[in-house]
Amino acid sequence: MALVLAALFLLGTSGCKNVEFYQKQRLNDPAMKFDDDPAQTHFVQKTFYSREGSAGGIGTGAGGGCGCY
Amino acid sequence: MLLTPRALVAVAVSIIVLAGVNAMPSSADDATPDVAAATFTGSGEAGTGSASFRIGYYDNDDKGDGNPFLDEALTVIEPVVIVDYNVTDRLGVYSKFSYDDVTSASIERLSNFSEQSGASSDFYIGLDLGARYELSENRRVGGFVGGSVEYDYTSIGFGGDFAQDLAEKNATVKVSANVYFDSVDVIQFNGEEDGSANRRSYSATVSWYQIIDKRTHAETGATIGVQTGFLETAYNAVVIEDPADAPNPNLDNRARGTEVTEELPGTRVRGSVFGRARYSLLRNTALEGGGRLYADDWGIRSLTLEPVVRHWPLDSLGGHLGYRYYVQSAADDHDDHFTTSKSKRTQDSDLAAFDAHGIHGGISWMPWPSLEFNFDAGYTFREDGLDQLMLSAGARASFDARPLKRLLWPD
Repeated sequence: MALVLAALFLLGTSGCKNVEFYQKQRLNDPAMKFDDDPAQTHFVQKTFYSREGSAGGIGTGAGGGCGCY
Repeated sequence: MLLTPRALVAVAVSIIVLAGVNAMPSSADDATPDVAAATFTGSGEAGTGSASFRIGYYDNDDKGDGNPFLDEALTVIEPVVIVDYNVTDRLGVYSKFSYDDVTSASIERLSNFSEQSGASSDFYIGLDLGARYELSENRRVGGFVGGSVEYDYTSIGFGGDFAQDLAEKNATVKVSANVYFDSVDVIQFNGEEDGSANRRSYSATVSWYQIIDKRTHAETGATIGVQTGFLETAYNAVVIEDPADAPNPNLDNRARGTEVTEELPGTRVRGSVFGRARYSLLRNTALEGGGRLYADDWGIRSLTLEPVVRHWPLDSLGGHLGYRYYVQSAADDHDDHFTTSKSKRTQDSDLAAFDAHGIHGGISWMPWPSLEFNFDAGYTFREDGLDQLMLSAGARASFDARPLKRLLWPD
């Protein structure tokens, strides 16, 4: 499974071409921006991951603040 | 079906190796828009900043499943305030304050024991202070210190990160590490105090942002975490059932059984890989697919899948609608029913096997470019009946303190 994921990632990134700055207009659309509201991210991660056994959320560390309601 | 911790480490190593492969020199292009920096926040113009306020409401239902001996319904109201300020063009600082107010049936039940009243987190206060510094146009470092307190719990933590843009800012690799030191007053389900205990949590994350083509960008990464110390929830109980016992008035269903403390291993190693990709289907309409695989040495494996569609019909108005699927296996030491007392045992329904289907959506409105209001709602249907409602509303404002600064400290 791990090898499959690694292979998929390799396949994905090897197909990437450098996109020039003047070609990034669509990536700067509001709908395309990855800059999620940090306060909303905090609330969602804390509530989901305090009620699920796999606590330690997407891109965040495990532990720190009990959150164990 | 899901990954083992060892396999997750292999994937993490693969990502790090790939980061090296993609770090090949490329021609410089200073005018490249900072799309990567939108993901990994860098610094901004000195004297500018932003302030976010959000209030969240979370309600957890209990339809009789989950832990058969407890009413697990609860309600949480949580305001969060985040202030971010650029001290110089390269140095930024931020603070995050959050407060949780929790009411739950389990707290009411625990109020039968005066020492325990409130011990299950009827309030939580957390404060993080952080800074980031732009080492060069393509390199950033950051760090934070944080602390939180509850009725029976204190935690301090710190962490740092390093981000490097690559390939004319078509990619960014970021590594981060966090450490938390927690102290728990061990107040058991029956109010008996058993001193205090420590818990340490270490985690490291490597993540990768990549522009794939003119319409698609993605990020992926892996996290490894280790926890040691007191990993039980102090007030959790396990019921040893015996038909010969009298009905227990402390149990939600007055079952015949005796409560004993929850016992779990003193270490936990966790690993996860995650990723999401967003594709610009039409002008101002995007499709996103995200997911996460998780495994730990307590026996829990989980999978999260989350497709989202985002649409901004106007420059000032947008929204999103998403679905979230989550499935996890049970911890090795979890069981719904015990008839004998095992050395390791838990009936925590969040460590049981279940799946969940969630829908969520939100609206953002920007009456001015510097001010955004948003509202989000979500509902999760859990297989074990512990359905969850989440509502939140907030505002995010950008500010420019330079005129005030010039007024107070004229050149």
